[in-house]
Amino acid sequence: MKKLSLPWIIIPTAVALVLPLFMRDQYFLHISVLILIYTGVTVAWNIMSFGGVLSLGHAAFFGIGAYTVSILYVDYGVNPWLGILAAIIFAAIGSLVLAIPLLRLRGPFFTLATLAYVEVLRLLAIWAVPVTHGSVGITTPPTQGLAYISFESRQPYYYIALGFTLAAIAISIWIYRSKLGFHLRAVATDEDAVRALGVRTSRVKLGSLLISAGMTGAFGAFAALYFFVVEPDTQFSATLYSIQPALNGIIGGMGTLAGPIVGAIIMTPLGEWLRVTFSGASQGVNFMIYGAVLIVIVRLMPGGLVEGFRAIARRVGRGAHGGSRAKRPASRTHGEPEDSTQAENADATKEGK
Amino acid sequence: MDYLLQTVVAGLMLGGVYALVAVGLNLIFGVVKIINFAHGELVMAGMYLTWWLWSAWHMNPYVSLVIVTPVMFLAGIAIQKFILSPMQNSSPTMKIFVTLGLSVFLQNLALWMFGGQFRAVSFGWAEQNLRVLGISVTYGRLTAFVVALALVLALFYLMKRTLVGKVLNALVEDRETAGLIGIPVKKYYLAAMGIGISLAGVAGTLIIPFQAAYPLVGAHFTLLAFVVVVLGGLGNMAGSLIGGLILGIVETLAGTYIDPALQQVAVFAVFIIVLILRPQGIFGGSARNAEVGLK
Repeated sequence: MKKLSLPWIIIPTAVALVLPLFMRDQYFLHISVLILIYTGVTVAWNIMSFGGVLSLGHAAFFGIGAYTVSILYVDYGVNPWLGILAAIIFAAIGSLVLAIPLLRLRGPFFTLATLAYVEVLRLLAIWAVPVTHGSVGITTPPTQGLAYISFESRQPYYYIALGFTLAAIAISIWIYRSKLGFHLRAVATDEDAVRALGVRTSRVKLGSLLISAGMTGAFGAFAALYFFVVEPDTQFSATLYSIQPALNGIIGGMGTLAGPIVGAIIMTPLGEWLRVTFSGASQGVNFMIYGAVLIVIVRLMPGGLVEGFRAIARRVGRGAHGGSRAKRPASRTHGEPEDSTQAENADATKEGK
Repeated sequence: MDYLLQTVVAGLMLGGVYALVAVGLNLIFGVVKIINFAHGELVMAGMYLTWWLWSAWHMNPYVSLVIVTPVMFLAGIAIQKFILSPMQNSSPTMKIFVTLGLSVFLQNLALWMFGGQFRAVSFGWAEQNLRVLGISVTYGRLTAFVVALALVLALFYLMKRTLVGKVLNALVEDRETAGLIGIPVKKYYLAAMGIGISLAGVAGTLIIPFQAAYPLVGAHFTLLAFVVVVLGGLGNMAGSLIGGLILGIVETLAGTYIDPALQQVAVFAVFIIVLILRPQGIFGGSARNAEVGLK
């Protein structure tokens, strides 16, 4: 991941740009918008995993974003575009509650705190009726036009979502290659060592939390406008917006740049298909499959698809160049699945020197 | 004043059950070094199993303990053997994903099998009130408290006074050395998981006479048990007991004096406050915290 090969950026972007010109089917476009939203949230989620932190709290930021734009629009008449801006700010402020567990706790305890935060916000959203309209939720008015991000066709939604998602990916790439990203990846490998070198790890981790939360808030806000309705059980749903992005990330490859994108593109249509297939009497079966997939995936390919591809590419490369890179997978025999990030960190260290 | 006392006692009763859930989680933590995100779902499994035995076979919930305990013990062993054991050398993140996957699976299995509605066991005796010194407690809550407390104390005894407990403690302290001196580590992992999970299941049975089962009920217990463990200190069983009782009281007070809808918010607030004031837990944790990612 040292160099970003341009064809890998230009070709998918070009395909995404012209896709709606050929595919005019509204359901296809709907699924595409969902993919874009999930790609954005997963990419945002992934910024925290650069630092080796696993968050299951992104439904909280998503929900805060969704509620911010809806409340401002419906109750205060604020234009949705400004609302999205406010959503980013409020989601980042809302994430500050998690700063305390983030800096005090490591690993599973932080993850649980994030999951609990989602549940707490869901309960608060149901309870605080004067502000959030309670479990009834808020419906945004159908006034159409670009100024209100409300259209009859799905095509404009697609392009706006694409803009947001590309921006998210660009920010993610930029962070990954910036000093912050370098520090984050170092923290993922050995936080104590990094701190001993004089890096303020708490500031680094806090930065990733704020950026990640703000970005997620933007997608929550866009999704609220796209669906026209927000309600506590959907917008603050841990399954939909915390576990799903994490699942996308782990399937694609946690902490890698391409992983979340690959994961979201594969998992979103699959999830929609499962949801439609198992509805009514067999409700719940789709998420049972999710749970099972999660268990199986971490056992079979803890590095995710991207790491899998890379391993294949390495093997092919080694066959051609005569084993000069054969040493690298040696660390992998230790069986630490976080090697994907660690291997990259090794790269990053070399780069740093 | 009477009202306050009444609330505190009700919270204490509930806290006993929370302590039971938390000591099981703490045991699994300490011995197997796995953070069980599905712990609450196993409480839920105990609730549904009891409800099913009651509604289909008219079995008294307390009698059904004879079935629930061994079934949940075996469930714990199966989870360890087929799901967690192959993950033993994985990173903490992957272990989270595995138990999280299990939790999602069980939640939705319940949704699929029993539907989304509340499933309650209402039976006369458990709902009657016992009045002592102007405070009234239902027999259901009192029984839950007494049985839970007895089981927690039995676990203390097991850990402190028996050979099995000594070995388990050795594993908490240093599993590498324990393995080196010939302790069959994997067998004791199975035992710890079996005990921990069966305690969760029993807690489910104890609570069902006054708390209905529904697919998402487990999330609440997972959060509670985690907060109790953070409060009481990792690997500190006595801390878990006291933490459980405190949390039961906090939750009931919040439910009575603030809003029943905000009980969980109060629990979360306690969690954050503890993290700010005493991240190592009120009573201190074990030095091996780093291994499960807590420092």
